[in-house]
Order: sequence, then C-alpha cells, then structure tokens
Amino acid sequence: MTTVAAASSARRIAWARRRRALRRAVGDFGHSRSGLVGLAILVVVVAFALAAPLIANHDNLDPSKTLDTPLWASPAKHGPLGTDSEGRPIWDQLVYGARISLLVGLAATVIAMVIGSAVGIAAGFYGRWTGAVLMRLTEWFLVIPFLPLAIVLAAILGPNVRNVIIVIGITSWPGTARVIRAQVLTLKERLYVERSRALGASNRHLMLRHIVPNVSPLILANTTLTVPIAILSESTLSFLGLGDQQKPSWGRMLDEAFSNGAIGQNAWWWYLPPGIGIVLVVLAFTFVGHALEEVLDPRLRERRS
Amino acid sequence: MNRTRTIALAAVSCVAGLTLLAGSGLAAKKATVTLTVGLTQDIDTLNPAVGQLVPDYEVWNLQYATLTRKSAKDFSTIPGLAQSWRSSNHGLTWTYTLRPHLKWSDGVPLTSADVAYTINRARKEQWLNYTAFIGNLTAKAPNPRTVVITSSVPDPRLPGLGDTYIVPMHIYDKISKANLTKYAAQDGVGSGPFTLETYVKGQYWKMKANPGYWQGKPAVDEIVFRVFTNSDAMVFSLQKGELDVIDNPSPASFKDLQKTKGIVAVQGQQGSFDELALNGYNGKPPRSKKFSSPNPALADLRFRQAIAMAIDKQALVSRAYGGIGVAADALSPSADPEWTPKIPASLRYDFDLDKAKKLLDSAGYKDTDGDGIRNLPNGGKDIVLRYLIRSESIYAKPISDFVTAWLKDIGIGTKLSVYSDSQLTVEIGKGAYDMFTWGWTPFVDPDPQLSYFQCDEVAHDASDFTNYYNDASYCDPTYDKLYAQQRVELNHAKRVAIVHQMLTRFYRSAVYDVLEYTPELQAYRTDRFTGWLQQPAKIGPVILTNTSPTYFNLKPIKTSTSGFSAVSVGGIGGVLLLVAALGLLGASRPVQARAAREERSTKPGC
Amino acid sequence: MSLRFVSGKLLGALGTFAFVIVFNFFLFRVVEGNPVGTLFRGRNLTEAQRAELRHQFGLDGSKLDQFWHYLVQLAHFNLGRSYETNATVISEIGHAAWPTVVLVGVSTLLSTIIGVWMGIVAGWRRGSWRDHGLTSFTMATYAMPDFWLGMLLLIAFAVLLGWFPIGGISDPASTATGFSKLLEEAHYLVLPCATLTVAYLGEYSIVMRSSLVDVKQEDYLVLARAKGLRDALVRRRHAVPNALLPVVTLIAINFGFVLSGAIAVESIYSWPGLGLATYHAIRAPDLPMLQGLFLVFSASVIFFNLLADLAYAYLDPRVRTA
Repeated sequence: MTTVAAASSARRIAWARRRRALRRAVGDFGHSRSGLVGLAILVVVVAFALAAPLIANHDNLDPSKTLDTPLWASPAKHGPLGTDSEGRPIWDQLVYGARISLLVGLAATVIAMVIGSAVGIAAGFYGRWTGAVLMRLTEWFLVIPFLPLAIVLAAILGPNVRNVIIVIGITSWPGTARVIRAQVLTLKERLYVERSRALGASNRHLMLRHIVPNVSPLILANTTLTVPIAILSESTLSFLGLGDQQKPSWGRMLDEAFSNGAIGQNAWWWYLPPGIGIVLVVLAFTFVGHALEEVLDPRLRERRS
Repeated sequence: MNRTRTIALAAVSCVAGLTLLAGSGLAAKKATVTLTVGLTQDIDTLNPAVGQLVPDYEVWNLQYATLTRKSAKDFSTIPGLAQSWRSSNHGLTWTYTLRPHLKWSDGVPLTSADVAYTINRARKEQWLNYTAFIGNLTAKAPNPRTVVITSSVPDPRLPGLGDTYIVPMHIYDKISKANLTKYAAQDGVGSGPFTLETYVKGQYWKMKANPGYWQGKPAVDEIVFRVFTNSDAMVFSLQKGELDVIDNPSPASFKDLQKTKGIVAVQGQQGSFDELALNGYNGKPPRSKKFSSPNPALADLRFRQAIAMAIDKQALVSRAYGGIGVAADALSPSADPEWTPKIPASLRYDFDLDKAKKLLDSAGYKDTDGDGIRNLPNGGKDIVLRYLIRSESIYAKPISDFVTAWLKDIGIGTKLSVYSDSQLTVEIGKGAYDMFTWGWTPFVDPDPQLSYFQCDEVAHDASDFTNYYNDASYCDPTYDKLYAQQRVELNHAKRVAIVHQMLTRFYRSAVYDVLEYTPELQAYRTDRFTGWLQQPAKIGPVILTNTSPTYFNLKPIKTSTSGFSAVSVGGIGGVLLLVAALGLLGASRPVQARAAREERSTKPGC
Repeated sequence: MSLRFVSGKLLGALGTFAFVIVFNFFLFRVVEGNPVGTLFRGRNLTEAQRAELRHQFGLDGSKLDQFWHYLVQLAHFNLGRSYETNATVISEIGHAAWPTVVLVGVSTLLSTIIGVWMGIVAGWRRGSWRDHGLTSFTMATYAMPDFWLGMLLLIAFAVLLGWFPIGGISDPASTATGFSKLLEEAHYLVLPCATLTVAYLGEYSIVMRSSLVDVKQEDYLVLARAKGLRDALVRRRHAVPNALLPVVTLIAINFGFVLSGAIAVESIYSWPGLGLATYHAIRAPDLPMLQGLFLVFSASVIFFNLLADLAYAYLDPRVRTA
C-alpha cells in the first residue's frame, strides 16, 4: 500500500515538476521579443493558409475557368493582387500556394525529424559498433550536397508533392541526427551514475523514460529550425521545375513569373508577393526556433547572461 | 581615418573603377559589319540529311545554294546555281545549265557532279529531308556544267528544286551510309552566301560571308545567331541595340514592341501551325516490342473525337497564345493558304464539354471506381494519358494548363512530362507517349508536309526510330493513295481538290488537333540595316522564312561616330575612381604607424 | 601536423567518396528502372555503337557485373554521353567547370570578407544599433531564396537601371581579346557574383559574431584591456584572429555547398557554368549529365571538407593533439 502511494505521489511530483518547467519555459519565451514576433507571423500565415476556401476561390487556379479575367492585370485593374499571363488571379495562387509551401515544409521536417531523432538517439545510446556505424552513415549523408541529390531524386522519381516531401526529408535528417546524438551523449554520462544505482533497468526503459523526455525539447527546437530550410528547399526545387506542376506553390509561382516574362512586363505583383511570403515564413520559424533554443537548451541559457 | 574603413573604401572604389572601365571597353567599335540575330530555339544538327528543326533550315538556306531559288515576293521559281533550263519528254526530263566558275567555299569547284551526287545519293539512301522532293528523280552529269534530271512520274513542282540543298561531294563521298547520321556537318564548307564559322551549343553560332558566292559577296560580313532561353532577355537586348532582329518574343512583349519607335514588329504568316498530337498507332505497320504502346483508348475513334471536342481553340488563342494567331481546324500544308481546306460545320468537332462527356459515356468509358477518372471498359484501369510538352516553348505549359483542365472536366486524367526538343523526338520515335504539343512550318509546295503522314513514315525500325516523320503514328491506306495521286497531278485545280480531300479525312480521324495557325512574331531595328525582305511579300516573316532571302539583301546604314558618349564617361570615371582608391591606400599608412608605436609602448616587460 | 593525422583525414575522405560512388550507382541503376535506356538514349548512335557501350558498362550482366563495369569506367573517367549534345559527360563538365569556379570563388571570397567584417562590427558592440541593423540585414538576406534575390538584383540593376547585361558571360559578337575581354567578362560577373555574395554572407556574419562574443569574454582579452590597449587593437590583434577559427572551417565547407547552391543563380543569369548545365540537364532530362554532375558536386564537397579539417588543425594547435 505504501509503495503504491509512494509511486503515485512520485508520478504526481514528476508531473508537477514538468508543469513548472513548462510555465517557466513559456515565461522565458515571452521575454524573447523576436520569438513573439515570429509566433505572431506564424499564427497569421497558418490562419491564412487554413482559411483558404474562405478567402480565396479554388476555381481561380484553373485557367479554363478564368476566361473573362484580363491578362497581366495590375492590382489596380483586378484586385486584390492582379493576374498573371494566363489571366489567373495572383491572390488565389498565393493563398493556396501557402498551403503547399507550409505542408511540404512541415511534412518534410517531420520525416527528417523522425529519421534524424531515431538515428541520433540510437547512435548516441548504443556505443561501439552500432553507434559508430550510424555516425559514419550520418556523416556520409551530411556530405552529399542537398540540391544535386534532390535534383537527381526528383528527376528519377518524378515531380509531385509526395516525392518533394520525401526528397527534402531524406536529405535533411543528418543535421538533426548529429545534434541529437551530441545531446544523447551528454545525457548518457549522467545516466551511468544513476544506472549503477538502479536495479535491472532495461535499455528500453532508460531510453524511453530518461533519454527521450530530456532530448525532446532539443528535438522541438531543432525541428522548428529545420522547417525554414525545408521551405527554402521546396521553393528552390519548385523554381527549377521539379515540384508538382499541377498544384500552386510559392516556388512555382516564381518559376512561372520568371519563365513567362513577368520581369519584362514589370508585373511586380507576380514576383514580389511569393518571395515576401517565403521570407516572412522563414524568418518567423527562425525567430521562434532560436527563442525555443534559448529557452530549452540549458547550455545556451547559461550563456545568455 | 580608421584603417579598416579606408581599405574598404579603397576596395570598393577599385571594383567600381574596374567595372566602369570594363563597360567602356565593351562599347569599343567593331570593324566588321555584323548582323546579330536573337532566337529562342537552338540547332539540333547541321546535317541536312537528318536535321528537323526550323533553325537548321536557316543555316542550310544560307550555307547551301540550290539549283533554283524561290523569289521573296511569291516563292516563284527563279535561277539559282542553274542559270537556265529546258524541259523535254513531256516534262519528265529537265536539263539545267549551271553558271560558270562555281566554287565551294574551300576553293573546290562546284560542278554538275555535286548536283547529281546529291540527288542520286539522297534518293538511294532516302535522306529524310530530301525524299519528298527528289524521291522520283534521277540525275546525270554529262558535262561539268550540265545536269539532266529525269522524273519517273509527272512532277508538278519541276523545274523548281529550291528545297534540295546541294552538298559537297568531295566531303560527303568520304562518309559511309552508316556514319552519315553521326556526321555533324560543322566544317563550314558551302556554296551559299554565308558559311558556318563557329557553333557553341546552347549559346550561339556564327556564320561568315562567303566571298565566292555566285551572286557576289554579301554586304554583311558576319551573322551571329544568339540562342536565348529567356525571351525577355532577348527583347531587352534588341531594345538596347545588342541585337538587330529577333524571332519569337512573347506575345506580351510583342505588343510592347509594336508601340516602340525605331523597331518594326512583324507578324509573319507562312502557314505555320501548332497541334495537339495523339498517339494514333493502330498496329500498322507492324513493329517490334521495343516500341511502347499508346493507351488502348486512343485506338477508339470516339475517344479521340471526345478529346477533340474538349479543346476550346478560341480560348487557347486568347489566353494561352496571348491573343496572337488564329484558331485552326485543318492542317495547313503550305505557306500558300489555298491548299488548306475549310472544314464545314457538319464535319467540325466544335468545343462542347457536355457532348464530349456523352460520347465517352456511350462509348463505354465510365468511372467505375468513383475517383473522378474514367476507366477502360470491362473493369480496366483509370485512363491517364501521358502528355509530353517541350521545355523550349513558352506556349506549351500554358496550353497544357488548359488542356489538362478540360480533360479533367470530362473525366480523363493526364500525366505531364517536360522534355527538350531532342529528347522529345526520341520519346515520340519510341512511341512512349499518348499526346504532345508541337508545331510545323510547312514548305511552299504542300507535298513534303503531306508526305509526313504516310504509313511508312510511322516509326517501325527499332534501331533508328527517330528517322521518321509521322508523329501522329497514324496509318491510313486511303490517305496514302490520295497522296500518291496528288503527287503526279499536273492539273492545279484537280490537285488542290485531292489535297483538300486528304486533309479533311485526316481532320476527321481526330488524331491531330491543329490548335492554331501561328504567325512568326519577329521584330527588327530600323537604325542599323536596310533591305529587310518579307517572304512572301507584305505578309510573311523577315527571317526563318522558306529560303531566307533577306540576309543577302541587307545593307548597313552608315552611322556617325559616337564621340563623347557613355564610353568616354565610363572610362574617365573609372580612372578617377582607381586614382582615388590608390590615394586612400596611401593616406592610410600614417594611421598604421601610429598604432604600432602605441602597441610597442605598452608591452609589459618580462 | 603529424603524418598520421593527415593520412587519417585523407582515408576518411576517401571512404566518404567511396560511399558516394556506391550511392550514385544505387540511384541510377537500381532506383531507375531502365538502365539500358537511361544511359545511352542519344539519338545519333548506331546499333553497333550502342552494343559496344552496353558491353563497356556491362549493362546486360547481373547487378554485380554492372557495378564492376561501372567502377572500371569511372576509373577511366567515362561517365557516359550527354543525351543533348552527344558529347562525353566529362568533356561537358570540363567546359562548364571554369565559369562556376570563378563565380563561386569570387563570391565566396567577397562574402567571407564582408560577412566577417559585419560579424566583427556587430559582435564587438553587442546590442548596439549597429549590431541590430546588421543582424536584421543578414537575417533578411538569409531568409530570401537566392534565386529570388537574383531576380530582384537583375530587375533593379540590369532592367531598370541598365548598368549591367541581362545575362550570359560575354558578348559573342564582341571582338575584344586579352585584358579587355577579361574586363568584359568581369562586367558580366558583377550581378551573379553580387547575388551569391549577399545570399551567403549572412552565415559568416552570424558565426563570426557569436564566435567573437564568446572570445570576447576570454581571459587573455581581459588582460589586454587591463594593460590599457586601445579597444580597436584588442579587437584586431587578439580577438579577431581567435574568433576567425570557426570561420575558416565555414569557408571551406561552404565552398562545396555554394557550388551547388549556384544552380539556381546561374539559371537566372544564364551563367554557363555547372549550375546552368544542371538546370538544362533537368529540363531535358539528361540523366547521364545529372549523374556526372552529382558526382562532381559531391566530390568537391568532400574535398573542401578535407581541406577545412586540415586547415583548422593547422591553425588551431589544440585540435591536432586531440
């Protein structure tokens, strides 16, 4: 009876501790001005993307349904953001394009994070052979330059959203893996002391109960910083014509603007908004990511003073 | 002044100075008379036996003289290498007398032997670009200045041989049949007004004047053809004066050019058209498994008709082509519009999505799995057509946006792939497509364009599948019969009637959806050259025409020397900045000395 | 630097390159379903030539057979033939290499110098308006896709102001030679170089800044200031050289990545280097070229990483003895 009570109160203590840590983290985050700005931008952009059916018209993406709109119209002639060389309104492309850019960025990051964390945790936790082999594998993938690999994969697999996500995902995981592994190694040092005291605690138990919860904040921060890289990568791939040609994305809008002569026609309403969108989203995630890093990474917290 | 800042300022001045000097260096006067042409399509090969792209013909028109030429005014036959001719044997035999002292650009004399060699070898080996013109001709050279050409059947085009490029026997004789397709033909030996000097793939090629040309040396010393991947850059170069004439600007920039002073914008008609071609391979002629098969639905006439009814050509003209061109029905086989039939309303496939849907329903293509895409009959797969487009065309992508939207509307899926011209030729040759968009520029006589759609022009030899023209992959024996008929019909009205019949039949097969008759959009500056010729007169384009007569006709306009201009300003500015940079560097030294002194005085003693 | 250290690093680099070679084979022979069609689709090859090439590359043998032949051909620098030009891939890459080396080399040099300078100015006076201004600038340029920045510079300086040409590396109609030809090419180099420089200087700036911030608190600087040395001297003589160490590594590593990052920028400016070749190869699609370019890019990254490791060890004695 006493053991059960002790166990349940131990758990309660653990949860209370976590809640306190969370409150402190949120508080610290609130102190970071750039973090708040980034968060605000993200909220706006995500709302923008989610509200697409409300604020934009999906039919306007189909040139056969926009036969009455003028070609190359400036925002003054056909709001709110004018039209392109085929008469499709830019506004709708921008809104629906936000969805694709965000979707690809997030999905690719999730893949990168899952693979990277798994490899990083395993590489750090299992020493000797497994660890060394995994680390070598990570270093090899780190060396392969992203864009040529992405191009080759996209050329072979074919250009569609799913393949772009896969391509970015499998080229981004090494960075995460390396960071996670370093953290796991530090944690392992502390763990051996505890382990010698624990009785018969299995590897899995150690990993799940000790490593993962302690590494999670770092994973979160690293993820948030990987998203902007994924978004920039998606825009580059789409610009080169390797993205999905049937769906709008900000990179594809820039490719079409460039290829169809928006520069010659001074159609600033075509090539400025998608670029500004990318810059805003990338900055937002970067700010939030840095703020999270400062809040969650104990090493950085010491340095801040 | 702080040393770091000084050095930075000096470096910036240095860079700026060098840049200005470079700019002024650029504007240095050129001694030779150079005509610079801007194009958006590159050569695929300079070998006249195998090349297929329009820029190839431009080079051949300039480099290789022909027995007879075609007038700029109306393509009528005028003397070329031959100064006179007479017919005998009821028009089956023609005897041509060549001009005296003809030479190749490398000094070797050009004689009737070259002419006979070209015609006979091209006929025997069935050279792709020659067969339509000389397939029935045999040539003899009884003496160095006489060519006797005999046709096995009456030929309405003789004595005109303005499309048969005479190649140098002393070079071609050394190339075997097996090696001929590999021959790059970049040695620049020719008999025309210009010959090839350099070729850098994807960038430019240069042709230089041939002083030995029988008509005399051209007034232009050198022509540079520059290939642009971005047509905007090409238009800007024209406006800045770096180019003298351009072809194929975008419709939007063409409209701007029409309003620009000092530039003449031309919409040249020469029968060119764009088409959406379906893979109509129906088993004839038989071919090996190495070829790919089209989607089975395409063998069904009703399926193809439904697709034809799903294309709104008017919308394409106004939206995808930017308002340039005219919606088309029948294929136009000639720069002369009399050869193109008008398809009567009762036979036309007008745009009607509902009718198309009903036709597909009644033909048995229903969406059995409810995913929005129709399936092949008897529980077959979703119908997804492989749609290939050209990366070099600015219209291909916009057209595909519309076509895929309309097809999706009637329940047909598409899978888009982008290919370069040379790759697309390979894919088409292999049969690995269901539909693609491309275009043709016909000749003056309709025969060549008509010949491309015969049964034996369907690719069927797996070892050389790009050596075929029938990219509709469609074999119709009746069409072949009619083709043979018109080929020997000497009565003009009767011949026109046969051609109309052929083309109406071809239209009804719904394998080739001719989208529009595309004019050549071109523009040239009025301040550098005069003598621009349109072929045909008043309505045709100025360059990339059937025989390109303009180049020889151009004469430079004498310009006054620029004197004090951007050149001098740039040069002077550059030098001043460099001097300033040096001065700054020199002035920074006292600061350095001071710092060193300070350091020395504070070193702790040990 | 001991021989053991150097040979260790060299072996590591070779090992990584071996991995890349195997990976390359896997990508093009295994993932792509039709290796025979893939490698030699060039138009103007006769059947006899095709058979010969198939034999050379062992394309009708087992996968192991193919791999062996692949290695043999690689050792002979035979990477196949481009679909587009029919010339050998290795010669096409050779032609395109020099313009990219010039572009990337000059821009890396400039972005290092300017970025480091910005990092110093920002890091020395943390929190000042200078710091904030420069950091904002570098963050903004870092967040921009490099091709978009290229478009904006092209529009501003080539189209609207007309100071620079719209693209290309030289004027084919010009008859300039020697030094004036060099100046002409420099003129064409300005905008693409400026784009890459601005796009990548952010990294140097940020790294230099944080490195300097770290170093600034080190003991020997406190001593230097206590001695009464002027601020600028402390910075120049002591702080900066030590803070530069991470930047050295960054330069070398970046060179390998900027090489491939130039793909998008070269396509905007039609700069005929490896990047534009990649862009054209994508659009064809020219698979032998893509495969060859992939190898070249990977090899350059490995090579420069090796240089970085060796350079860092040379500069920082602490690393060598580890």
